[in-house]
Amino acid sequence: MNVTLAVKQYVSKMIENSGPGMKVLLMDKETTSIVSVVYTQSEILQKEVYLFERIDSQNRDSMKHLKAICFLRPTKENVENLIQELRRPKYSVYFIYFSNVISKSEIKALAEADEQEVVAEVQEFYGDFVALNPHLFSLNLQGVSRGRSWEPSILPRATQGLTSVLLALKKCPMIRYQLSSDMSKRLAECVKQIITKEYELFDFRKTEVPPLLLILDRSDDAITPLLNQWTYQAMVHELLGLNNNRIDLSRVPGISKDLREVVLSAENDEFYANNLYLNFGEIGTNIKNLMEDFQKKKPKGQQKLESISDMKAFVDNYPQFKKMSGTVSKHVTVVGELSRLVSERCLMEVSEVEQELACQNDHSNAQQNVRRLLQNPRLAEVDAVRLVMLYALRYERHSNSILPSLLDELQRKGVSERYRKMVQSMVEYGGKRVRGSDLITPTDAVAITKQFFKGLKGVENVYAQHQPLLHETLDQLIKGKLKDSQFPYLGPNALRDRPQDIIVFMIGGATYEEALTVYNLNRTMPGVRIVLGGTTIHNTKSFLEEVTLAAGGTHGSGRHSNRH
Amino acid sequence: MASGYPPSLEGPVEVKEGFLCPLCLKDLQSFYQLQDHYEEEHSEDVRHVPGQLKSLVQKVKKAKDKLLKQDGDDRNESSYESFYCGGVDPYMWEPQELGATRSHLDIFKKHRAARIDHYVIEANKRIIRLEKLTSFDRTNMDAGKIRAMEKSVVSWVNDSDVPFCPDCGGKFNIRNRRHHCRLCGSIMCSKCMEFIPLPVAYKLTSGTREALCVPAGSPGQTQPPGAAGPAGQPASRRGSITSLSSVSSVLEEKDDDRIRCCRHCMDALLKQQEKLEEKDHVPDIVKLYEKLRLCMDQVNKKAPEYIRMAESLNAGETAYNLDIAGGLRTEVQKYYELIDALSKKILTLGMKEDPQPHPKTLQLQRMVRYTATLFIQEKLLGLMSLPTKEKYEELKEKWKEEQERRLQQERQAASEAQKRRSELEKNRPRLAANGDARPARITKGVGWLPSSDAVHRGGGELDDPLLQQISNIESFLRQARAAGRLDEVATLEDNLRQLLDEYDLQQTSHAILLSQQLAQEESLQQEPRQRSRNPGFAVQGGEDGDDDDEEQQRDVRSKHSESPKMQTLAIKSFPPLGESPPTTDAPSLNPFDEEDSTPLEEERSNPFTEEIQKEQASATPRDKREYNPFEEEEDASTWEVGANPFEEDDDDDEEDDDEFGTGNPFQEGPGHAHTASTNPFDDDNDASVSYEVIEEELLLQQIDNIRAYIFDAKRSGRSDEVELLAENLRDLQRTLQEQKRKPR
Repeated sequence: MNVTLAVKQYVSKMIENSGPGMKVLLMDKETTSIVSVVYTQSEILQKEVYLFERIDSQNRDSMKHLKAICFLRPTKENVENLIQELRRPKYSVYFIYFSNVISKSEIKALAEADEQEVVAEVQEFYGDFVALNPHLFSLNLQGVSRGRSWEPSILPRATQGLTSVLLALKKCPMIRYQLSSDMSKRLAECVKQIITKEYELFDFRKTEVPPLLLILDRSDDAITPLLNQWTYQAMVHELLGLNNNRIDLSRVPGISKDLREVVLSAENDEFYANNLYLNFGEIGTNIKNLMEDFQKKKPKGQQKLESISDMKAFVDNYPQFKKMSGTVSKHVTVVGELSRLVSERCLMEVSEVEQELACQNDHSNAQQNVRRLLQNPRLAEVDAVRLVMLYALRYERHSNSILPSLLDELQRKGVSERYRKMVQSMVEYGGKRVRGSDLITPTDAVAITKQFFKGLKGVENVYAQHQPLLHETLDQLIKGKLKDSQFPYLGPNALRDRPQDIIVFMIGGATYEEALTVYNLNRTMPGVRIVLGGTTIHNTKSFLEEVTLAAGGTHGSGRHSNRH
Repeated sequence: MASGYPPSLEGPVEVKEGFLCPLCLKDLQSFYQLQDHYEEEHSEDVRHVPGQLKSLVQKVKKAKDKLLKQDGDDRNESSYESFYCGGVDPYMWEPQELGATRSHLDIFKKHRAARIDHYVIEANKRIIRLEKLTSFDRTNMDAGKIRAMEKSVVSWVNDSDVPFCPDCGGKFNIRNRRHHCRLCGSIMCSKCMEFIPLPVAYKLTSGTREALCVPAGSPGQTQPPGAAGPAGQPASRRGSITSLSSVSSVLEEKDDDRIRCCRHCMDALLKQQEKLEEKDHVPDIVKLYEKLRLCMDQVNKKAPEYIRMAESLNAGETAYNLDIAGGLRTEVQKYYELIDALSKKILTLGMKEDPQPHPKTLQLQRMVRYTATLFIQEKLLGLMSLPTKEKYEELKEKWKEEQERRLQQERQAASEAQKRRSELEKNRPRLAANGDARPARITKGVGWLPSSDAVHRGGGELDDPLLQQISNIESFLRQARAAGRLDEVATLEDNLRQLLDEYDLQQTSHAILLSQQLAQEESLQQEPRQRSRNPGFAVQGGEDGDDDDEEQQRDVRSKHSESPKMQTLAIKSFPPLGESPPTTDAPSLNPFDEEDSTPLEEERSNPFTEEIQKEQASATPRDKREYNPFEEEEDASTWEVGANPFEEDDDDDEEDDDEFGTGNPFQEGPGHAHTASTNPFDDDNDASVSYEVIEEELLLQQIDNIRAYIFDAKRSGRSDEVELLAENLRDLQRTLQEQKRKPR
């Protein structure tokens, strides 16, 4: 159930299969991300893979002393490129791996192009997803919906990605989906279809409790991706943007050249692995300790290596020292940039109000706070918009809604029309009309009382009150209490026992806050293993784009509501 | 996996005299660790890798169980415990196998073969024709003759059939004349025509020529010019279309140093030529690279060896020679220099040539160099330095002192343990005399385990060589494993962990035995008269004999729990002892029902008593079944599983003792009810006691069975079942305790 390991093992196997000698890895755009997320360059260099090439790159020289490992998605273009490649091979041997199911006719076309008999291997290795953490994968798909249905070109890719996860983890699951979402049902059906069609592939050893695939729709919880985050990974993604575990720091003022782009991978960065899920305050302390450690380890005489023993110590410590100095400067830069942004954009205050909007039920207080913050000139455009969006989602049906005046406020503030339009799109995307579950209001008396007491006691951390809806859903699922009426099974069979191996897939993108939730569930629930996936992993910015794209299609295609 | 695990707990620097591993002479700290070590390190030959993996997984699981039970100061497990807090961190998820894969190589090959056959035939034909075309002396032959020769090689396409050039589509006329490919006979225009220079042709055909014309000498002259008798043919050469143009073309077309052909044939030939060249050509980078890898392999082999030596030397040990280590160091360093030099050479390959190599080539070279630097950085800089000669002498001294000191400590510890034990013995009767037996027993149970350790430690110093016994156990266990391999029992027996568990059980029962024995002693003291009834009891009666007596028993037992060989002895000697309890007034404390069960388990690992085991195996499950709520799950392995206690055993026992005072009204079955109702004080009947003995034995077996189920359930992750079973187990244990206590 470890997706990172699954991909890693695939890649190692490919390299292993090709035997000793210098190698080149031939990939396409997507497989490049897939591989680079799980393997660092130095790791893969040690396995004698010295060059990484794109199959569609024209600037490749013939190097007959290299073996080529091709890891490609089975797309038409790739197959065509590969045929051309085989007609005039540039390398001595070709080991071909497709990341998903490929048709017999394409195999035939390739075989016929291989007149020089350079192909030594043709296999399907189902690493067709980006494994960000052991329990988190993404398909890097943006703009998956048009209105409330699938963008036609995306659905097959999502199906492929999801089935490849199942194959890589060797799971043949039962499928549940979110009834309120048509897209969930469609995807569930498509996955089922593949499982039926490729039944030989999915013939795994049966476990006592079959694994479960739960397909959800982002529109059921539009609040989570709108919130500011305070745990390291989520925060980095929210403020700097994580792309395949890489951050682009080029916009950071005064950044040094080798830190323009840094990799944050828990696999190779101990500090990151330990702090991934800690909050900003804790990270501050830890980074201080890291610095102190570094200072200690840093050979005193880096400027002046006085005695021989100094030099010896330097040499002895050198590899660790070098590694550490890289880590230190990286994290110091990142954390420094984060705190700069936090103070520049008053994110503490913003976040407090956000959390209040998301978790409390006090309209007058909320509207006052939102108004007050909108007056703040330092408030960034995107933060202003997200506050209004949260308000709109939260008090959509409130009798005293001040949404119109807030929108006016935005206009006065000079927020662009594009953003202002998004507020409406957001309500259309994730408003009450669309939702299948109780996202916001605790309706029953007990919950309200609980809320009340919580308010009295004061919360431990005002910035981390919010629990994503996913937590509730999964909790119910694990306890076997998730309602069949809301999340029906596809097909006649239902799970009798509590599920153990769970794969959750979020159409429209998951978030790192949800990844943290899943991580915590994994750690606290004995016997349960959960993997979270999404068409992408969102931060607020990307989520707003997603919503805009979805709304863009609304006008063109007729939208069908699926309220029940 | 397994090999990465022992060093952390063995603490290779700390050395004790008594606990040397018989195979690798490694010093271990205690008996437990030695056993661990032995099983971990030296049983690989018996076990295959998946087995080890399994055992690792089980270990992890067990560690988890331990944590949940909140006990166990066993050092082995503690290293795993920190991982757990209910669920599992995704980073710690168990190793998983490679995901699904599907190979298309077979159909690929099938399709390719069909295609290639055709392709190869064509290629071969082309080469053969080329060979024929070059096999005569062109320069000394007139054009007509050449043409005739050429035409005889392949039939030319009729001119009239081809009005347009098939390649460029140009219309043929007087200006744009037709040309024939000499290799395939097709027609093209002059623009689309290619020429094969003769040297190239010779080169291409050299292989075939040799194959075809083995007997003849020089290939060029094998077919004497004109031997094919072309003289008779020229007239019919071009049939009806003989025209001026064609005549002139003939004149123009005297190709004495080249062969004309179409583009397609030319392409194919060029490819073939390329291939031929590649076959023999090894680029410099490959040669250098191969050398580089060779050096890296050497380093990978030698560096760890050196590090081992250096560590040992730096610790002041005398296992290695300083000079040899120094030599190895220089050798390794030489390899590093070689790697550095080679990779530098690779980096600069072709840099000075005029057309700079392709950027990708340069990139490749850079990457190779970069990898080499990384390699050196990681490996070379980790090489520790050796002590100087003087320093080494100093270190050696220090180490010796250290050894001495440790030895001293050990002796002291042993004597202390001895003292403690004797004190314990002194105390015990007093406690018993104080009347309240129950609390006394608790203290015994708790206080016992450490001192059992002490016995073992003491054993290390006694003339009875503990090592011998351990290796005996090991070999017996292995033999049993080998013998039992046929039945399903063996798969479990094979398991590394369970061996340890077995040992655990020995310890446990040992502890029980001793405590019970002590209790018995008390009762013996209380009723010294009754002992005279015991015919088998070899030891003399009387108060003064007690100490010796106990000493002796203890000895027998400590040995028995350590060595199956001794065990058989023990079995022999126990029955007489075993008859004594009925005569005492504490049947529930009866050590001998325990004893009976303990030897049974021992026997399983003892090849000599296999028959007995079988008998019992066939007998017991039947009985057991009556008590077993899970009987449908039972299979042949149950027996073994049941016999294999799980590591909780130790703890359970402590628990048992803890729970002792709490009491449990739970009554398990009619058998137990019976025992419970038996008042031992009234009971002088031997038969009823032996019946009771069986009941308790069954109870114990049942407990073991349940433990096995728990283990099984845990392994397959059925947590609710685990709970249920655990409950069951606790009940049973309580019942057992109850039963033991009540008769008192």
